[in-house]
Order: sequence, then C-alpha cells, then structure tokens
Amino acid sequence: MNAELRLQSRSRSWLGQARRSAFTILLSAFGLAASWALLNLVIGGQCDRKCVEDTLAQTLRVATPIALAAFCGVLCERAGVVDIGIEGKMLMAAMVAYAVNLFGFQILKDAMGLDAAGHLSRWLAVVAAVAVAILLGGLHAIVSIRFKSDQIISGTVINILAIGVTGYMYRSFLAENLPAGPGTFPLAPIPLLAQIPVLGPIFFQQKPLAYIMLLLAVGITWMLFYTQWGLRVRAVGEHPRAADTLGVDVLRTRYINTLVGGAVAGLGGAWFTLEAVDVFSPLMTNGLGFIGLAAMIFGKWNPFGALIGALIFGLGNSVTATISIFRPDIPSQIPQMLPYLLTIIVLTGVVGRAVAPAADGQPYEKG
Amino acid sequence: MANSDKTATPVNSMPRSSGQGRALLPIQRVVDLLRMPLLALATAFVLGAVVIFLTSGRLETVGEAYWGLLRGAFLKERGFSESLVAAIPYVFLSLGLAVGFKTGLFNIGVEGQFYMGAIAAAWAGQAIQGVPTIINLPLVLLAGALGGAIWAGIPGYLKAKTGAHEVISTMMMNYVAFRLTEFLISGPLRAQGAASTIQTPRISPGAELWALWDIPARLADPLNALGVGLVLGCLAWLIARAVSRRGQGSGVRGQAAGGKLQTASGDTQYAIRGTSFVVRHSSLIIAAAVALLAFLALPPLTRLWWPFTDRYDRLHLGLVLAVLAAVGVWWLLWKTTVGFELRTVGANPNAARYAGMSITRNVVLGMALSGALAGLAGTVEVVGVSICRCLPLFFSSGYGFDSIAIALLGRNNPFGILASAFLFGAMRNGADLMELSSGVSKYIISLIQALVLLFVAAPAVVRWLYRIKGAARADEAPLTRGWGG
Repeated sequence: MNAELRLQSRSRSWLGQARRSAFTILLSAFGLAASWALLNLVIGGQCDRKCVEDTLAQTLRVATPIALAAFCGVLCERAGVVDIGIEGKMLMAAMVAYAVNLFGFQILKDAMGLDAAGHLSRWLAVVAAVAVAILLGGLHAIVSIRFKSDQIISGTVINILAIGVTGYMYRSFLAENLPAGPGTFPLAPIPLLAQIPVLGPIFFQQKPLAYIMLLLAVGITWMLFYTQWGLRVRAVGEHPRAADTLGVDVLRTRYINTLVGGAVAGLGGAWFTLEAVDVFSPLMTNGLGFIGLAAMIFGKWNPFGALIGALIFGLGNSVTATISIFRPDIPSQIPQMLPYLLTIIVLTGVVGRAVAPAADGQPYEKG
Repeated sequence: MANSDKTATPVNSMPRSSGQGRALLPIQRVVDLLRMPLLALATAFVLGAVVIFLTSGRLETVGEAYWGLLRGAFLKERGFSESLVAAIPYVFLSLGLAVGFKTGLFNIGVEGQFYMGAIAAAWAGQAIQGVPTIINLPLVLLAGALGGAIWAGIPGYLKAKTGAHEVISTMMMNYVAFRLTEFLISGPLRAQGAASTIQTPRISPGAELWALWDIPARLADPLNALGVGLVLGCLAWLIARAVSRRGQGSGVRGQAAGGKLQTASGDTQYAIRGTSFVVRHSSLIIAAAVALLAFLALPPLTRLWWPFTDRYDRLHLGLVLAVLAAVGVWWLLWKTTVGFELRTVGANPNAARYAGMSITRNVVLGMALSGALAGLAGTVEVVGVSICRCLPLFFSSGYGFDSIAIALLGRNNPFGILASAFLFGAMRNGADLMELSSGVSKYIISLIQALVLLFVAAPAVVRWLYRIKGAARADEAPLTRGWGG
C-alpha cells in the first residue's frame, strides 16, 4: 500500500468517524424528540417542562442498575468469561443490602443517633451487597475457570441459586414482623451543579449509587483502554494463548475480573433496595440483569456504549411509567412489555455488527 | 476453536454404546452412567441439610424436614400420584430444553413458552365448543404446542438471521409472555359472569384431558371409545412397524454398517419385495385388530374393573402423553434424518454447513420443537390439572428453571429425563408437607435443585470433591456456545 493510499484511507476513516459520531448524536436527539412527541401524543399534551425533566431524571435512575450490570458484563467478558449470572448476583445483593440496612440500623440506632445510624447502616449495606456479589462472582469464577465448566450453565446456576437462597431467606426472615428501617438513600444533590437549569435536575439531583455508576463508566473506560492492566485484560479476552506466551497470567486475570465484575454487579443489586424501594420482594430484579447484558452487547463491550444502551432502556422504562401515570386507562401490562421488546429489537439490530471478545466463553487450558 | 474441537465429532459420539460398552460389563456401564448424577444428588442433599441446620440451629430439624419431604412425596394419601402430576410438566419442559441443548441452543425461556402454550390452550379450549373429544383435545393440544412453538421460534429465527443470542432474547420473551398472559386473562379473555376471581372461561368438556379415575365414565361415550381405539391402533401400528423393520433391516444393515439412516428410507422396500400380502401389511393388520379390540372391549372391561377409583386423585392422561413425548423425542433425535441434522448443527455448525445442512432451518426448527414441548406442558396444566379447567390470573409455575436442572441431570436423554423429572416432581410435591411439619421454608428445595444443577453442570467439581480419577466423558463437554453462535 503506497503512502497516498494510506493517507486517503486514514482521512476517510477520520471522516467516517466524525460522520458516525454526528450520526449518533443526531439519532439520540431524534430518539429523545420522538419519545417526547410520543409521550405527549399518548397523554394528550400534558407533559410540561417539569414532567420532561422528571422523566429524564427517572431515565438515569432506572439506567443505574442496568448500566452497573452491563459494566459487570464488560469487565468479565473483556477477560473472556461470559457472565449470565448477573441477574442472580443483583438479586442476592439486593436481599443482603436490605437485610443489613434493616438489622444494622436496629443495632446501631441505640448507640448513635437515628440519622447517623441510618447513614452508617446504608453504607454498610452497600458494602455487604458488594461482598456477597463478589462471593457469587467467586463461585462463578471457580466453576468456570478452575473447573472449566460451561460458563452459561454456571451463570444459570448462580441465577437459580440466588432465587432459591433469597426466597428461602425471605420466607424465613424478611416476610413479616419487620421493624422500621432507615429507608433508602435520600436525594443527594451536588451543591453547585444541581442549580443548572435543565441538566441540574436530571444529572445532579440523584442518589449516591447513580453518581457512582457515572464515575465507574469513566473509571472502567480509563482502566480498560488507557492502562497496562486494561491492555492485558483485553489480550486475555481476545487471545489468551498469546497473552500467556507474553507472561500474562491468564487465569489470574480472569479471576480478578470476575470478582471485580461481581463487585460492580453488587452495587447494581444494592440499588434495588437502597435507592429504588425500601422493601425486598422475591424476583424483584425483574430481568434487569439480562437487559444489562443486552446493553453491554449494544455498547460493543465498551463502558460508555453500555451506558448509552442502559440509558435507552431507562428511557423506555421511564416514558412508559410517565404514560401510566397520566393514562391509567391503558392496561399497565402493555407499556410494561415495551422495555423487554425494546431489548430484543436492539439486540437483533446491533448484535450482528458487535463483535464479542474472541475468547469469550472459552475455558483456557494452560499448556 | 478449542470449543468446537471438544464438542465436535457427532459421528464419534453417536455409536457410543458400541464404542465404550465393549470394554465394560453391562452393570459397570450402568454404574458408570449413574455415578455422577447420583453423587451430584447426594452432595446437594447433604449441603441442603447443612443449610437447614445452620438456619434452624437444631439437628432434629434436618431429619424432620427430609422425613416430611419423603412423606409428602410418596407416603401420604395420594402423595405418589401427586408427585407424578407434578412431574408431567417437568417432563415436557425438560424434553424441550434437551431438544434445544442437542441443537446447541440454550432455551432458557421455556417458562414463557409454557405460559404462551397455556394461554393458547385456554383460548382454544373455550373457543371450540360442541366437538367430540377425539377432535377437540388434539386441536387444543395443537394450539398449545403452536403457542409455545411460535414464542420460541421467534428468538430462534432472530438467532439464525441476526445472531441475537437466544439466552437473552428468550429471557426477554419470558417477561413479555408474563405481561401478555396477565393482560389477556384480565382483559380480552376474562370469563364473564359471577366469578369473582379473574380467570379465563372454563374450557369445553371435550377439551379436557381425562383424569384416570374418570376413564370408565368417559369411555361410555362410543365416540370417545372410538378415539381411544384409533390412538391405540396408531401406536400399535408404529410399534409393529418398528419391530418388523428391525427384523428385516438387520441383514441390510450388516452390509452397510453405519449407514443406518439411509436404510431407513429406501432399502427396506427392496428387502420385503416378494413376500406375501399378509406379511407385507402385517403391521397394518395388527393395528386394525388392536383398534377394533380396544373400541369393542375397553368400555365394558373398564366398567367391570378399573384400578383408579379415587375421585380426588388428579393423575391424568398427561402422564401417558409425557411418556409418549419422551419416546417421540428419542425417536426424532436419534432415529430420523431430521434429528441427525439437529444434532449435527448442535455439535458442530461448521461441519453441518459444510455438509449442506441449513443452519437457519435447523435452529428455527430446534427452537420451535423446544417451544412446542414447553407449550404442551402449559396446555396439560390447563386442560388436565387446573381445578377450574381454565387459566387463572397469577398462576405461577416456576417450572422453567427447575427444568434446566432436570434436563442436565437426565443428561439430555429422554429416558434419563423421565427419571429425573419424577424425582423433581416428588421434591416439589413433598415440599409442602416438609414446610408444614418442620417449619423449614420450601424454598430450600430450589436451593437443593440449584446445587444439583451446579454439580451436574460441572462434573469436574464432583470428581474433585470425591477424588474420582479418570478422563471426562464425551458428553461432559460444554453444552452452549458464547455470543458468537
């Protein structure tokens, strides 16, 4: 290839990239406008500025667990471990977070004030949720890395195990006669930024886990694509043999990533009982872990792409929620179906062009 | 590529009985086959006991719980037959999963297909009125199977055409199915009238799957007797044909060893040319005789003596359907060209494509078959088990996830599935009495089942636990594939 041609191809690729990002921005603007129009069409023009802001803030809120699940997927699969068990990890983390929050508060409230005890127990609950999700991640890691069993089956095991354990614990301890708990995290507006007209209420009047999610999007992107560690992780996911030859410990990398991914999924699980509602119910994760996987695929195994995917699902979710507030006559099941249908559509539209890490889902045999 | 190396070679794995069996005695083969599933079960129950002990703090509770489980499953009144009733949907669902696994598809959405089958059957059952059972019941079964098949066929088509992974899309279809059935039951399909509960209308009497105690009364209707006669005649014909083929085929097969699939289609004609009319049509004659005999003799005979007299026993003809389905799946997968293609696509898609098999067709077919079986499970629940003979709102089954464990415990073999489905049905049935008598939540059952799945899916764990030496069996290879398809 001569120099001229190379230059040409580079300029074309630069142009293509610019065009592609412009296209993305246009598309998302169009999507927002279309959903706003749709919203107003359905509810009869009752959505004023406040309602739009609320809907978009709700979008980010609902996107939080989906994005965290997707980040867990990104971390695991970039290292070559398919993780179907995110749903189970989140369910388990949600239960543990709820229990720790509730019972930790009972122990702490006498020793310190109600307020301080509430704060402490909520953060303790986050830590516990992360810990239990790491534990489940460890189980997945051992079964699929050490024992080289089928990773999708192993993830399913975690899902079923979580359903069984949470159901058992719920029936035994969490169903009735509960003391009053400290409740969920209060809104934590960020001092100056929350005053910005439109963006403030949407982005900066959220609860802590939403901020953590946004920070993680940046953090994981930086770690994966701008550090030596990330390069090694991606090498392990794409070509473990080559990485092994160059001295990267493939199995160790996979263990670490599965555990870190578990921690992130634990944050996502904590969202359900520490930010969304102050109650645990069996099966409350409602497939958001799987939607997170779809968001990950939509985002082509990139944290930011996954975040955008999660925001799309969040938008679908919050728009339908707004519709059902204004139009109680529409059977609630119909709008409730939409996020799941959206997931399938997005999956089919995107997955053909999204390429998974080459060694995704394949146990690594040393030697 | 490491993946496909391991799962490849359907040609080698097919005549396994002759390849592996030669070195071992039959009894050793049985032990070899049953060792891992039994160890997995035992380990899961031991761990379940540990959990019960840890959460209750008393050692006696463990004994009480397991004794309650055993009593509830087998010993209490109607316990055994209720275990069978619970096992019937498990058989259909895990057969569906097994068909999927054999085609290389993880149909995690059987639960949704179960719902769609149930709602389709509930609709067809009340829509078709005034038709005798012999037509009505097959139509309703067909409707249920179609409901499930369509619900699974869509993700199958998307998988084949766009590569959308079936685990996510069938999971999403699950949630859509839950909402859709909820909407249909509470809206368009809701039974009108005084009933305070939200449910679909009662299905027509002709669409009901007979309870076993009810059979003598049902057979009093000559049309029903005729239907039973025809069904038995068809079965007799199939069996007689299979037996005679086997007898004639042996000579041909000796020459073309391994070409079993080809001989089944055409060469038999050549083998039986020149024989007399009676021999040539022997299976048809046997079938006609059986049908006639059943039609004439069954009604009076069953009225004279019938083993099932308990009117509160819910055991129904679905049991027969389930066994037939297991035999049918076995026959389809291992004795027909269609099944061979499905298994080849499952074992090695590249080889299948190279051999000229259509991946799209087989993936869609595999998913649709899988969904049809799951839909039949829902159908049987509506037309055979439900007390209102309808589909109530918020009927929850939770059968779907258990079935994954059952299919894997049965090694995706239809007859293994029959056994493990019965085991899980018994556990499900016994759980209530266990909770009642020991206070241990019945969710412990799903915990144990998850552990069973873990140990069955990862045999290496069991081998490591019990320090079992020896290479992994061929069928312990990964069952599913990553996102790449």
